[in-house]
Amino acid sequence: MTPSWTRWARAIAVGAVSLTMVAACSGSSTRGGSDAGGQVTLRINFWGDFGLDQLKSRYEAANPNVRIVLNSGEYNAQHEDLQKKLVAGSGAADIAAIDEGFMVQFRSQSDNFVNLLDKGAASYESRYLPWKWKQSLSADGKTQIALGTDVGGLAMCYRTDLFAAAGLPTDRDQVSALWPTWDAFLEVGKDYTAKTGKKFIDSGTNLFNPILGQQPTGFYNEQDQLQMEGGPKVAFDYTVKALQAGISANLTSFQTDWNRGFTSGSFAALACPAWMLGHIKETAPSTEGKWDIAAIPGGGGNWGGSFLTIPKQSKHVDEAYKLLEWLIQPEQQIEVFKQVGNLPSQPALYADPAITEFTNPFFSDAPVGQIFPKMAQGLTPQYLGRRNGPTRVAVENVIGRVQNNTLKAEAAWAEAVKAAEKAATS
Amino acid sequence: MSTTRAAPPGRTGRPPGGPRPATRMSWRDRLHRFDLRYVPYLLVAPFFLLFLVFGLFPLIYNGVVSLRHYRLDDPTLTGWAGFDNFARLFTDSDFWNALYNTLGIFVLSTVPQLFLALVLASLLNRKLRAQTWWRVGFLVPYVTPLVASTLVFGVFFSRDHGLANWALQTLGLGDPAAPIDWRASKPAAWTAIATMVNWKWIGYNALLYLAAMQSIPRDVYEASALDGAGAWRQLWRITVPMIQPVVIFTVVLSTIGGFQLFTEPMLFELNSQAATGGSNGEWQSIAQLIYKVGWKDLNLGYAAAMSWALFLIILVVAGFNSWLTSRFSGGRR
Repeated sequence: MTPSWTRWARAIAVGAVSLTMVAACSGSSTRGGSDAGGQVTLRINFWGDFGLDQLKSRYEAANPNVRIVLNSGEYNAQHEDLQKKLVAGSGAADIAAIDEGFMVQFRSQSDNFVNLLDKGAASYESRYLPWKWKQSLSADGKTQIALGTDVGGLAMCYRTDLFAAAGLPTDRDQVSALWPTWDAFLEVGKDYTAKTGKKFIDSGTNLFNPILGQQPTGFYNEQDQLQMEGGPKVAFDYTVKALQAGISANLTSFQTDWNRGFTSGSFAALACPAWMLGHIKETAPSTEGKWDIAAIPGGGGNWGGSFLTIPKQSKHVDEAYKLLEWLIQPEQQIEVFKQVGNLPSQPALYADPAITEFTNPFFSDAPVGQIFPKMAQGLTPQYLGRRNGPTRVAVENVIGRVQNNTLKAEAAWAEAVKAAEKAATS
Repeated sequence: MSTTRAAPPGRTGRPPGGPRPATRMSWRDRLHRFDLRYVPYLLVAPFFLLFLVFGLFPLIYNGVVSLRHYRLDDPTLTGWAGFDNFARLFTDSDFWNALYNTLGIFVLSTVPQLFLALVLASLLNRKLRAQTWWRVGFLVPYVTPLVASTLVFGVFFSRDHGLANWALQTLGLGDPAAPIDWRASKPAAWTAIATMVNWKWIGYNALLYLAAMQSIPRDVYEASALDGAGAWRQLWRITVPMIQPVVIFTVVLSTIGGFQLFTEPMLFELNSQAATGGSNGEWQSIAQLIYKVGWKDLNLGYAAAMSWALFLIILVVAGFNSWLTSRFSGGRR
């Protein structure tokens, strides 16, 4: 034995001891899941407001052994967090919400989610809008990773006070009649801007997305090949035309200036999926009664809509499924609709008086229970490719460059195609 | 070897001249020996363990991932990629754009930052009223949470209602009809971000310099003053050469920090979740691009390759900078 060898042995021994200490420390901090006495804690991760606050206490009262923890976060951050937890192998919530825009990404990792068909979810298929059911179903039809909550039927929200000031009609039927097509909408916008000197809409991207949603095809075909010449070109050309007409306030959605715009009147109209109603009410409570809802030009359309999944990491799959099943029952879905405006994705409910007769006082008593279902029903939704999210961001960025005058409108389309192609392959 | 024979292996660490145990050691002696020989290792072990777990392991694992196909949105794609991910870097215009941005912001931030820190430190090194107050004041930006200060700067540099444009216009430097859109061009965006970095780190570096300056003997200055050297000449001829180790330290540190720039560009963006660093990548830094490739494009293999490339770039640039600094600040040897 040489001295240097013993020194190594010593170092290793000390290392091993310390490692055990570290391990011991981390071992004691296991996450609380099931507590003593059969108590089960279920965590639900989502973003914004899913209208779950009251449902939570009702469910807990009926099931004394269950405690529900609601964890609301930022939209993108929640999806990213879920993705990280799936890679890491632990830490995901018992029920994780996923938006339509991220569904393709997570559907391709269906191994990480509980197959709800094994739990008996197949009986719910007939209740759902067929396309909603299919969005979260694996390609071979054998794995259903999620049950849908809401869909984002599209309408157009507008400020009645600003419309009146510009000499435009304020009644929702008359307003709807003003813009049967997007071209007519552009004319109304020009008229408004000329009369008031103010901008008409919030941003170019919030024209691009709804118009793209109305086209028969999106960025990708069913073979997941990029096809910019179809729907994207129609939506992009119109957006650029609107930007050149100078009717856009060029704000970025969900940013401070945009949120402030709801109150300050930086814009008078914006495309409004059902879930946007809750956002407007929350960010601009002082504008109660100044909003109304008209039909969107071009008829129908969908923007967003969510699903609830159970990651396989959950330690209480059975309890989680029980809760999930309860949440998508008609009674609860109607309750959510009344609370925050999220439109259920089960068409049978659209005929339910609780929905058809519901009006939203914040939006001048608009009959939202009739407006939004109409938009959601007659819809043939697009196929959203695997790279849909990044492609959309890339094209939105090109629109942003037109908005801040660093890109000429004439060169924009070529640039958009280039950016989309890059996003498709990155 | 007479020494090894004199002291049996395993006991070489014993202090010379200590009492030699006659037959076997008492427990006190054992404890003493344990204290002397093992406790130092125990005390340094936590650092190395943490480094192993959070430093070395991720580095190596990252290297492995960078040689593989690893896409989160395509679990079927696996296997070794060889150097494909690295080869792709050479043709990826996003990567070169990000490198260009990072270098640009680095130059705009590090050079004024260290220079101003040096000047401030030499001012603080004189007799001043309320000395402690000044010194603590310089440290305030450093202790401000980065996210908080960046968010405030984000508003400061906004196009329509930003303080930066207001100040420029008040000074007659900006045109009220065409306010600077700080997020629309590279020079404007780089300046804005470099300002945030400078604001945060000038005081910190100044205090480091100040600490080093205070160990310089007074009589050197007095002698040079007798020879007719002014304050400026003293700074460059005496102070800088004498605090050279600290200067090199700060240069290396700010090189590493500058190349890992992430929070500022990330939060400068209006829609920070896009992580594109402006609508045309005007200020996307490498760290931000790595984040985007990994968590937005979900291509972890390629992101890992970028991380390794960044690691190598930092090594080279930091080495070059410290060499340059030692040449530059060495004065006459």
